[in-house]
Amino acid sequence: MTTPLLSVENLQTQFETAEGTVRAVDGISFDVHEGEIVGLVGESGAGKSVAISSVLRLVESPGEIVGGEIRFRGETLLSFEEGPNGERRQSPESLSNKEFRQRIRGREIATIFQDPMESLNPVFTIGSQLQEFIEINRELPPKDARDVAIETLREVDIPKPEDRFDDYPHEFSGGMRQRVLIAMAIACQPSLILADEPTTALDVTVEGQILNLVSNLQEEYGTSFVWVTHDLAVVADICDRVNVMYLGQMAEQADVHDLFDNTKHPYTEALLQSVPRPDKTVESLTPIEGVMPEAINPPSGCRFHPRCPDAREVCREVNPEPRNVSDTDNRHNAACVKHDVFDVDYEHSTPIQSEGDEFGEDLQVTEGSR
Amino acid sequence: MAAETEETEDQEYESRVGASYMLSRLLQDTTARISLILIAIISGMALFAFIDAEFLDYRLAETYLYHPLRNNAGTRPLLPPVGLSNQFGEGVLAHPLGTDTRGRDLAVRLLYGSRIAIQIALVSTTIGVVVGTTVGAVSGYYGGWIDDVLMRFVEILYSIPFLVLVIAFMAAFGRELIYAMIGVSIISIPIFARLIRSEVLSIREETYVEAAQAAGVKDRNILLRHVIPNSFAPVVVQTTLQMGTNILIVAGLSFLGFGAQPPTPSWGQMLSIARNYMLPAPWFSVWPGLAILITVMAFNILGDGLRDTLDPRLEN
Amino acid sequence: MSHLRYTIKRLLQAIPVLIGITSITFLLINAMPGSPVEVMLGPTASEELIAAAEERYGFNQPIHVRYVKYILAALGGDLGRSIHYGVPVTTKILERLPVTLLLLASSFAFALSVAIPLGIVSARRRNQPVDHGSRVVSLIGVSTPNFWIGLLLIIVFGYHLQVLPSNGLVMPLTPISEVEGATSRLDVLVQTVRSLIMPTIALGTLQMAAVSRIERSSMLEVLGRDYINLARAFGVKESVITRKHAFRNAQLPVVTIIGLQLTSALGGAVLTETVFNINGMGRLIIQAVRTQDYALIMGTTLFFGVMFVIGTLLTDLTYAYLDPRVTYEGED
Repeated sequence: MTTPLLSVENLQTQFETAEGTVRAVDGISFDVHEGEIVGLVGESGAGKSVAISSVLRLVESPGEIVGGEIRFRGETLLSFEEGPNGERRQSPESLSNKEFRQRIRGREIATIFQDPMESLNPVFTIGSQLQEFIEINRELPPKDARDVAIETLREVDIPKPEDRFDDYPHEFSGGMRQRVLIAMAIACQPSLILADEPTTALDVTVEGQILNLVSNLQEEYGTSFVWVTHDLAVVADICDRVNVMYLGQMAEQADVHDLFDNTKHPYTEALLQSVPRPDKTVESLTPIEGVMPEAINPPSGCRFHPRCPDAREVCREVNPEPRNVSDTDNRHNAACVKHDVFDVDYEHSTPIQSEGDEFGEDLQVTEGSR
Repeated sequence: MAAETEETEDQEYESRVGASYMLSRLLQDTTARISLILIAIISGMALFAFIDAEFLDYRLAETYLYHPLRNNAGTRPLLPPVGLSNQFGEGVLAHPLGTDTRGRDLAVRLLYGSRIAIQIALVSTTIGVVVGTTVGAVSGYYGGWIDDVLMRFVEILYSIPFLVLVIAFMAAFGRELIYAMIGVSIISIPIFARLIRSEVLSIREETYVEAAQAAGVKDRNILLRHVIPNSFAPVVVQTTLQMGTNILIVAGLSFLGFGAQPPTPSWGQMLSIARNYMLPAPWFSVWPGLAILITVMAFNILGDGLRDTLDPRLEN
Repeated sequence: MSHLRYTIKRLLQAIPVLIGITSITFLLINAMPGSPVEVMLGPTASEELIAAAEERYGFNQPIHVRYVKYILAALGGDLGRSIHYGVPVTTKILERLPVTLLLLASSFAFALSVAIPLGIVSARRRNQPVDHGSRVVSLIGVSTPNFWIGLLLIIVFGYHLQVLPSNGLVMPLTPISEVEGATSRLDVLVQTVRSLIMPTIALGTLQMAAVSRIERSSMLEVLGRDYINLARAFGVKESVITRKHAFRNAQLPVVTIIGLQLTSALGGAVLTETVFNINGMGRLIIQAVRTQDYALIMGTTLFFGVMFVIGTLLTDLTYAYLDPRVTYEGED
């Protein structure tokens, strides 16, 4: 296989809070290849957005990337090594902040933010904001950058882009602003776009238009995408491969068809069961028991076991790394010990189904007091 | 009605829990703790001075300290603090901060000056809070022409530079302390009226207020039971900060000769006398200002601390 | 064009405020003990003489009639005569107004040029020594009486080091012959600057402290916004983010605070002018109150009100210029 465009290995990002350390991203690995759209799926709080900020090295204090390696076209963007006193520190191969800013951000890896209402600066015209990013990342003189900006606005289907260039964000609707954000990302001609739930804030019809737009643009430019979402319908619609996250860790990683047709992780299974589909009645939907625990105090063993229908005693003790559980040539990783490759004697472990309810109640209480 | 009472009880329960929790959080903040201690000390001094002056005819001061008002013929005037010397002589331990133009002990004068500062802060801010809160709550809750009239009036009060307003007020009624207090409370009104009005406007839309209205609870009761208690946090913060501001304003007024009249000592008035002796007796000008600074700063720190713990929204 | 319309709208809104200011002052002055005529004629005047004079000047008319007359005359530029100075009130005010305006402008310039960088640095280096230092400075600044700062400055720089004049303010256009030791316009300007330094610091410190506090918290808030992160994500330099992307947004609450600080600055001017013996509007109003110079009290208060209204208008317009959303909403 060729070198992946982006390769993330064992990434760890944590936040120091008054209540303790929150391991928001706790050792995730995933690859993105040229020209593919990779989904990053999970409930709110699973650590998807933190993972995206970590790749861009935009984690802000009190958050910090504390471990792992990020490579882009084989070049190390970030890695860690053991310091003289045994502490972990950024290794010298890592790109300096300045280089990272100049060479990677916007130019190689662009991003589309979640909230179109908050992501545009209210006191500058959308044109000037777009033009500035183009000037920086494509090193174009202002006049050419302006032309590119208008052209890109046209490409994302903003009507009369010449006239709208000098309008302020408050003069655009949410859907239109999201198009502007997409224009910013593609106008810089990056190889990879990280899209952080870009359609969550939009209503369904606009979401559909935006997804179509992205698919078309992706075909045209061949740009790779990491598409963060909690919506499996969106995943099915546009993604080539999918990574499912749960509480800062990877649960399952597979091609989109394998994931839907041959689900290997109980969490993914539960997610699929809880999504309404035309071929199901509401009664047949099965919501996932309980709520996701907080990353500050994760359960022992497998993090999903308190809510897992298949949980057994061994799940309390073993926190599995994702392993290939595929019976075909396509790689299909799952982090669940019920698969034989894990070899922890799941078969003979006692099911802990009954206690699942108790955990569920516990978690309900936590939610109520929040 | 039953549902209404229950809801009120719930809320009171919550706010009690909240208050003690907030207090304990406030006390975790070292600077806030120091400011509370400072305010307690200054208030204690002020209370002592108040009792001695109002009820004991300065007997306590005469017995244990020096008389703060009477000329001290036996002591040389304008003495420097202990350890320093000037053209009038050497500082003595008996008058650690020095003496004023009439040989009165500066430390004692400062002590009795604290009474004016604290009295002003308490009285004028309280009047400002009570009247301002009422005006703001009525204005915000009823809206319409009542709101228009009241807010226009508040805006006018707000638009006259406050020192000028109080001076004009005192020119009309008199230069005594009581008019300074009333004048300063008048200029505190608009600040609280505006604050409460905006709080009320947002609270009025809350579901529980709508529920109370739908249940037929009287407007007055809704205002007293729901709207005003829920505006509590920002009012407490603003009250604390306003105490400091009002002390500053009254010090300025006294400096200009509007306020406590001699021989009653106030910090601002001491400075206006000291001003004429800056060259020979600079320390005379230093102490009263320092007293004002420390007192006002204590209120400001406490206000900031309260803001951080009570209401993070008020960060600005 | 929309800015012009906004300006006109704000100007119209200022009219009721000015009417309010004049009527409150008018009422207060009428509540003062004694009548202007008694003051004018002195304590020895006979009752007949006083009555005759009251008749002549219209003081025996009902208050609302006199108020309307005053307003009508004021609109025509006539604010009456100062009894104490024996000149028209407008003459006296126009003589004093530039002094106060120069003092105010200079102290706001000082306050902003110190406070804005200080607040920004504080926000950028949050919880570092620089931040702690600047926060302590601003805390002291908002807690110190400005006239005391003036006194301390005079003690140190005026009397002890003798490097700055502590008395009066030399206006830049004063005739050269009237300025001691000046032989050219440049000398006069140097004197102006020297005489401005201490009053500026005394008056501007409070504004400086208040603005730097708000600048810091406002900057911190803006730096945490999504659009700032977006700019970072597209490779914009931190220095450009602070100077361009965050700066303008962060100034919005600052502008509001500056508007609110106007009243305290005008009040502070009264104190500062007293401390430094500067003959501006502030000393004029104190003088007017001391001499019970009714027309002068009325006129100076009115002018303080006008200064405030104009100041607020300027801050509102600055706000509208900085934030495109303001005029847009105004047009709806």
